[in-house]
Amino acid sequence: MRRFVVMILIGLVSLSFVFAEVVTLRVIQVFTSPLRTKVLEEIISKFEAQNPDVKVELISPPYETAYQKIYLMVSAEEPLDIVEVGDWSLSALASMGKLLSLEPYLAKSDLINHLAPGVLEAARTYKNTAYLLPNAIYVKTLFFRPDIISKYNITEVPKTMDKLLEFCRALTKPEQNQFGFDFRGKGYPTAFIDIVMTSFFDDIDPNCMYLKKDGKLIFEDKRALDGINFYLELFKTAPKDSINWGFDEQVNSFVSGITPYLFQDPDTVGLLNELLGQDKYRTAPLPIGKGGKAYPTIGFAGWGITSYSKYKDIAWKFLEFFNSPQINAFWCRDYGALPVDMRVYDIDPYFKSDTFNGWKAMFDDPQHYQFTKYPLDNEAWSEWNDLHETTMQQVLLGKIKPETALKTWADFWKKAGLGK
Amino acid sequence: MNKLRFWIFLMLLPTFILILFINLYPLVRGGVISFQRLTVFNLNKPRFIGFDNYRAVLNDPGFWNIFFNTCIWIFFSVFFQLVFGFILALLLTKPFKGRGFYMGIVFYPWALSGFAIGLLWSWILNGQFGVLNDLLMKLHLISKPISFLSDPSFAMFSVIMINVWYGIPFFAIMLLAALQSIPKELYEAAEIDGAGVWSKLIKVTIPYIKPTILSTVLLRIIWVMNFPDIIYGTTRGGPAGATNILSVQMINIVYYQNNFGKASALGMVITMILLLFTVLYLQIFEKGDFEI
Repeated sequence: MRRFVVMILIGLVSLSFVFAEVVTLRVIQVFTSPLRTKVLEEIISKFEAQNPDVKVELISPPYETAYQKIYLMVSAEEPLDIVEVGDWSLSALASMGKLLSLEPYLAKSDLINHLAPGVLEAARTYKNTAYLLPNAIYVKTLFFRPDIISKYNITEVPKTMDKLLEFCRALTKPEQNQFGFDFRGKGYPTAFIDIVMTSFFDDIDPNCMYLKKDGKLIFEDKRALDGINFYLELFKTAPKDSINWGFDEQVNSFVSGITPYLFQDPDTVGLLNELLGQDKYRTAPLPIGKGGKAYPTIGFAGWGITSYSKYKDIAWKFLEFFNSPQINAFWCRDYGALPVDMRVYDIDPYFKSDTFNGWKAMFDDPQHYQFTKYPLDNEAWSEWNDLHETTMQQVLLGKIKPETALKTWADFWKKAGLGK
Repeated sequence: MNKLRFWIFLMLLPTFILILFINLYPLVRGGVISFQRLTVFNLNKPRFIGFDNYRAVLNDPGFWNIFFNTCIWIFFSVFFQLVFGFILALLLTKPFKGRGFYMGIVFYPWALSGFAIGLLWSWILNGQFGVLNDLLMKLHLISKPISFLSDPSFAMFSVIMINVWYGIPFFAIMLLAALQSIPKELYEAAEIDGAGVWSKLIKVTIPYIKPTILSTVLLRIIWVMNFPDIIYGTTRGGPAGATNILSVQMINIVYYQNNFGKASALGMVITMILLLFTVLYLQIFEKGDFEI
């Protein structure tokens, strides 16, 4: 009899294991790359170890098609609990009404007290509601290769755009396959053009990159033309081929030393550390232009929860775990981005290393570095990049005049309701 | 006989339903979307806007340039694929040592994905790091790198070259099969009549495989027109639209403008062009024993 009871008990325990509910969270990422996926999978493993009743299924579509896949999956309410939301896709996703407002969760969370300045405002881009929890910040800075430029007797860091152009010209020796500027011609070159063009201004609206403080569009201002003409000069110090370059080619060119000056985001750091080594490059603040300023934007990416998720609370648990200081430090260090939790800068000395000099200097100098925003909540934003890229390429190839491009851009934004 | 017909119909019914579902439904759905305002901002609330998307597509200042690029892309791609594919097929009909291995190598490009080929060639043709430039420079054939994909005067030539490289095996496979079906007696009779190599080619080979040539060309034209992979992987239609073709433009509208209605309208325009072309093509060539 005793044996029978024991058998029954063992059977029941076994059954309870079999039928114990394991929740599966489905997570989809956008900025897929082998390095990033590896880091992400490691974080997921740590989360699963802490939460044995939760399994996280990571979906990693190719970057080129990721946005569209997410848009379609979310709109059709396909099984997804956590969605990676980038700054450029936030309004589109939120406007579908398929993203959960994270405000109730944020109100109860301690995380909010430690977020870097500007992160929460960034999360509230759409209708002043946080539809995502950013996990990394992206701000462009100047990367340079001291080992290459020193061969040309350049030891100074270019603090102004003019100086940068002067150094790039000195470096440009096409016969030696040596050039100055690491140019980007395709794959969202918008931010690169804007960094140069707006540096000719001193009155950019802090809330919109394309508006002056008087509410008028920058494209109708003479200084925009000066900025574009300067960009054309900078292009002359870059390989001609770079009109066809995106991120991969830019990084490759920088790593191989062909173009030792590069404007890029901190997610380049992880790649450069791996491909080049931390001692082979430095960062410096973006050079300021004729306007005496530079206007970087704070890009961000994070996680959102679908409004139709069955496991909203567990999804939030994952988000909190992901943004905990230790994990945020691990994520940003290995992938290479700026942490969103201020505690990370204290617990991990890596983020105080020379690698981050460029960003630190910009954040510490609000007089010269005024952070601004893109009109991401404008519906026309999704069409803007394609038009901007094509017209700029036409300008670079001499097919249209810079004035024509500026008029096209001004007309586009006026039609979209921007500017007086 | 009627019973037999009924059974044939019954057997074909599942396939017919499947084809309806796979081919016709997307076509109809695409047609409906082409009349809707459907962007990423209103995916759940599309609204009918009549012919606005078609107007937007056809009134686009770059449309006719893209159409012209598409014609250039198709004509030169298919022409050179046919010529080189035919030459290759002729060479492969003759038995020689290592023929199987050689055929494997020749047909290899056809096994690769178009987008992967695009990426592969974008690095091969890169002006700074590309192996082709390096090779040409080392051979002292050029003094400075050629911007194969970045110079508008080279870009279309470059993508067509890649497409030719990719498409030759298809023609070679199809024409080789047709060449192998030619009865030897025809050649023997031609030889008795004193025909030389050239004469046999013109009077026996080509007329015999003409239906295969015509049908393969038609299929290839349709495929090449709907084949954005290589251009997408190399130039994405750039620089400044120099290599933009209709199917690439359609993807750009989806991916970069997030406008599904406008992309569907362009898709319908492409379908109409192909339909019109196919009807004309068949009208012109159906006098012969055309097989498809």
